[in-house]
Parts: sequence; structure tokens; C-alpha cells
Amino acid sequence: MEERDLRLRNLTYGLFVELGRAPAAVEVAERAGEPTSEVEAAWRRLHDAHALVLSPGTPELRMANPFSAVPTAYRVEAAGRSWYANCAWDAFGICAALHVDGRIETSCADCGEPLAVEVRDARPDDPALLFHCLVPAERWWADIVFT
Amino acid sequence: MNLFRSEEHVERWLGGRPPGATLGVTTLAELAQAWWADRLSPAWRPHTRAQNQAILDGLGLTGPFWRLPG
Repeated sequence: MEERDLRLRNLTYGLFVELGRAPAAVEVAERAGEPTSEVEAAWRRLHDAHALVLSPGTPELRMANPFSAVPTAYRVEAAGRSWYANCAWDAFGICAALHVDGRIETSCADCGEPLAVEVRDARPDDPALLFHCLVPAERWWADIVFT
Repeated sequence: MNLFRSEEHVERWLGGRPPGATLGVTTLAELAQAWWADRLSPAWRPHTRAQNQAILDGLGLTGPFWRLPG
């Protein structure tokens, strides 16, 4: 992975945190002082390297893991802002990436009952909840949105 | 990759599909910490397969289900 792509990747993540949503390529380009086309080309290379995920057939972000560019069932409040996570693992991952406490709001995938998990010092307040991973590790990236 | 209230809810959600792997949420939090803590570091570099497999192994997530592609 080239340093230029890493720089644009880091700017992308920084803006995702700052804005509380996915940045558009033009916003990253403005911050980087680069043409939008360069950001889009870098995002494509980063997508191919599994360093972020683009929406199929578009130059738009779908995931900057653990952050989701689209609303999901996993909303995370932390450090006075909120983001969507791609899954339960990523919801804890947002607190881990930010190195802050937080609150995960979701629901039981079976019955739909609302679940709220407070994360303090990287630990959940309700240890009775369960996480289920359906897809084996060797296939996680075969369809990362489904995973 | 979802959260559930109990094992009963996992089984009902599966609806007869082959199960994957179920973890307690405390283990999930430990996994997330190890997997994502460096994600916003300016010094971030992609994890190698060996690094990620070591994270899984270190939490006892071993066996074919947790084996990353080579």
C-alpha cells in the first residue's frame, strides 16, 4: 500500500470521525489538496486491498470499517457524536478505534427487542448478551456487506 | 454478525440453518479491541493475515470456522 493512498485513507477516516458520517470524495479532495479523481482512484485501490469498501458500481463509500456509511441496526454514541457500525463486532470496534467509552443501541436480531449496551473501559455492561457470527472467517470478504 | 438476548433467540433466528459461532459479548468486546484499536492511528498499516489470525487464536477462537483465508 503506497504512502499516498495511506494518507488519503487516513484523511478519509479522520473526516468520517469528524463529520459523524461518510465524507464524499470531494470533501477528502478539498482537505488533501488533491483532485477528486485522485481520491476516487485511491479509494478504488483501498477497496481492492480491503482497507475500505465502496458501494458496488459507484465511487461512494459504503464502509470505512468499523464505520458504516449507511444507516444500520447498530448505532454508536461516543465522544459526543454518533455513527453507524456495520455489525455488532464493528459497534464495539468504534469505541475501540476511538479509545473512548460509548453506548451501542441495537435490537435482538431475533425478536427485535431494543438492546442498549454501555461500553466502559472497553467492557460491556451486560455480559449476558450473545454475539452470533454466521459466516466462517474464510468467507468474510466474499460478501462483506452480508457478513 | 448480530447480537441476541440469549441462546434460545440465536436458535430461533437460525431457523434450522447451520449455526456459525456464538460468543459472549465480553469476548466480542475483547475481539473488537484487539482488531480495531489501531484503526485511527496515523501509523496504521493493514494487518497481515498472521496478525489477525493471532488475534483470533489469542482469544481462543480456533478451529476451521475461525481460520482466515491464506
